[in-house]
Amino acid sequence: MAQIVVYGIITGAFYGLAAIGLSLVFGVMRHMNIAHGSFLMIGGFAAYWLFHLLKLDPFVSIPLVMVILFAIGAALYKGLFSRLDKLPEGLKINNSMLVGFGLTWVIDNLAILFWTSDVRAVTPSYTGKVWHVLPGLRLPVIGLVVIGIASLVIFSLYLILTRTYFGKSVRATAQDRDAGNLMGINVERTYLIFFALSSALAGIAGVVAAVNYSVYPTVGFEWLLKAIIILVLAGFGKIGQVFAAGLLLGIIEGVSVYFVGATYREVVGLVIFILVLLRRST
Amino acid sequence: MLEVEQIDVYRGDTQILWSVSLAAEDGKITALLGSNAAGKTTLLMTISGLIKPWRGRICLEGQQIDKQPVHKIVELGMSMVPEGRRLFPEMSVFENLELGAFTRKARETKDRMIEEVFEIFPILKTRKVQMAGTLSGGEQQMVAIARALMSQPKLLLIDELSLGLAPLIMQHISETIKQINMTKGLAIFIVEQNVFMTLEMADYGYILENGRIVGEGEAKKLLQSEEVKNAYLGIGEV
Amino acid sequence: MGYSKRGFVISGIAILLLILFPLVAGTQHTLNLFIVLFIMVILAQSWNILGGYAGQISLGNAAFFGVGALSFHFLAWRGGLPLYVALPAGGVTAVILASLIGIPALRLRGAYFAIGTLALAEALRITVGNLFPLTVYIPTAHIVSYNLLSRYYLALMVAVITQGVAYCTIKSKIGLAMMAIRDDDEAADTSGVHLFKYKFVALAFSSFFSGLAGGIFAYYQDSIVPAFLFTPQWTFEPLVAASVGGSGTLFGPVIGSVFLIILTELFALTLGKAYLIIFGAIFIFVVLFFPGGLIDASERIRKSIFG
Repeated sequence: MAQIVVYGIITGAFYGLAAIGLSLVFGVMRHMNIAHGSFLMIGGFAAYWLFHLLKLDPFVSIPLVMVILFAIGAALYKGLFSRLDKLPEGLKINNSMLVGFGLTWVIDNLAILFWTSDVRAVTPSYTGKVWHVLPGLRLPVIGLVVIGIASLVIFSLYLILTRTYFGKSVRATAQDRDAGNLMGINVERTYLIFFALSSALAGIAGVVAAVNYSVYPTVGFEWLLKAIIILVLAGFGKIGQVFAAGLLLGIIEGVSVYFVGATYREVVGLVIFILVLLRRST
Repeated sequence: MLEVEQIDVYRGDTQILWSVSLAAEDGKITALLGSNAAGKTTLLMTISGLIKPWRGRICLEGQQIDKQPVHKIVELGMSMVPEGRRLFPEMSVFENLELGAFTRKARETKDRMIEEVFEIFPILKTRKVQMAGTLSGGEQQMVAIARALMSQPKLLLIDELSLGLAPLIMQHISETIKQINMTKGLAIFIVEQNVFMTLEMADYGYILENGRIVGEGEAKKLLQSEEVKNAYLGIGEV
Repeated sequence: MGYSKRGFVISGIAILLLILFPLVAGTQHTLNLFIVLFIMVILAQSWNILGGYAGQISLGNAAFFGVGALSFHFLAWRGGLPLYVALPAGGVTAVILASLIGIPALRLRGAYFAIGTLALAEALRITVGNLFPLTVYIPTAHIVSYNLLSRYYLALMVAVITQGVAYCTIKSKIGLAMMAIRDDDEAADTSGVHLFKYKFVALAFSSFFSGLAGGIFAYYQDSIVPAFLFTPQWTFEPLVAASVGGSGTLFGPVIGSVFLIILTELFALTLGKAYLIIFGAIFIFVVLFFPGGLIDASERIRKSIFG
């Protein structure tokens, strides 16, 4: 059982990484970026190609992948999402979802066009290496790296949001956009950078996915599903809660799969989702 | 300092301001009076750049600002205490003040300004780490003013200072504002419903009714004018 | 917008033509094309009622479609129920499923409903893929007696019914309430419109007819991979059709579907997967710049020419 919890924690750390970008963007800018899953996929493929063409270790390639996704996110925000900024909130959320949905379609099919639908995975030399901590308790090395990355991300985000002027300006504009403008904050540019940052976060998750699981062009939706469940569980914007929700989902999934089998794994998440909504709506 | 020339302003399809012109002098306190739906807040929001005028010009120290984005106007030296304070509720008093000094120029003098602001409003020092949303109305107003001062503006806009404040606190704050004006020579443009107190504080005043300027003059003269007395002092007397 | 006599007349003529057409010039290829078109129209209109009229964006129509198809397959092909029982039963199953998300999510504002439907479709896709990994076929007995023409008329009939019910709904008090909710749900709420009830009616309509469309597909297609029924394309294509044609209009989904099918026919062979990308790009373009779709654009052109 402890083994299951360990795997659950590793999975959960990944889920948190997948969800954090989506959660932050929605909390600050009220954009539900449906294309978030596709950003993850791009990150995964970037790691794959960097590994196969340049022999670059995936975890080492993370900064580079972040830069790539940052650029892509910034370009897409500038070109598409920023045009929705002026709309009233209900319409903005709706239209940003539609645009995101369309974007997913475009990106995923571009990926199929360029890279075929084949499943790829990154298998560095230390794949499968395991640490035997106690009898019956195995810690995969990669899993530990994942947890490490997740912790690093949490810590860095926390520092950025509370200690830097940029982070404070982000939090401020999320609470009162007009007042943010009155402080001299260029709210539009802040949003642009923040969106690009969250795309970079998706990229990190994508690298982890490529190593720990696998990537193929339509995988984005599956990760998006997890991110959505966590978003609903955790509320949005609080970093710690997102990761905690991720861990919770990871562990619950792991435990239920043990008892009910892997066939119904997704149903677990869906049930949690429905239960949380039921609770919220009463 | 500030020149507003014949601006027409719309909210949606409705015209709120009709050919409004006024000026705020360097180093002086200029007041804008008018009853509730006269358009005072719309005017301030237009001056600060949150709304753009349909016609007309607004100049700050001779530079045209009506087409500039809000944050640029702030960088040029205008600061606003918005109606309802508009603090960042889930951030501490200290963080709110820090954000007041967001512009590059202001960040250099941030620490000094925080000291200064704590001298003007000593009570804020004790509330430094408290969440801004949990303060009382009067304290929030002080934070809002302090925050606006952090960027060392040339022109300070104040929208509805007295809203929701007990008279005694209102008195204290308006005296503090008068003091700030005198010691720093800061030009202040204040929009108010509380006519008596504002005219006592101000040097010059304008009266806005139904989106049009219907009167102006030196504050002392306005206080004594028949129209103002009849129209407002019955309502706005402290 | 007035659904003038002219609209009725044109629709009537179109339906008549569609009924007569296969008897005169129907090749197997064109019949197949039209069946796909009719299914698309049903799906697009279903999305439209929920998203275009009631303002509740659904990103998971594939779930309703898939459930309808799967139910039909098991009830009709495996369970032996007659067509006219299995088909509506599929629709009802879809409604039940929709309620799972709808009942909690429609009480809340914001993105919850949309992402809920997305989550539902995705979770079902994976789970169904796990449960039924193999292709399923129409039983041989029915393959022998397979009649393409009868499927054509079935699809046409259901499409016309869908349009009809949509029209009646829009014209009625229900439609007014939906549009009020779409345009300003707070104002609607304070005016006494029972938000949840009308949102749910829209959802029931949308899921029922999507389920019917799924059933028709299962009736028509001789072999299907179950998980395929739940793939995002079954959400995306009707969505694009409705939006490009003009969401919030009665004929938008029809026009959009025709547009989509024509483009597919023209480009699928020459461009391969690339045409999907073009669809996506057109869609994004429409959402950002032409929210009223083709119908709105043509209205504007007409107004600028004729004044």
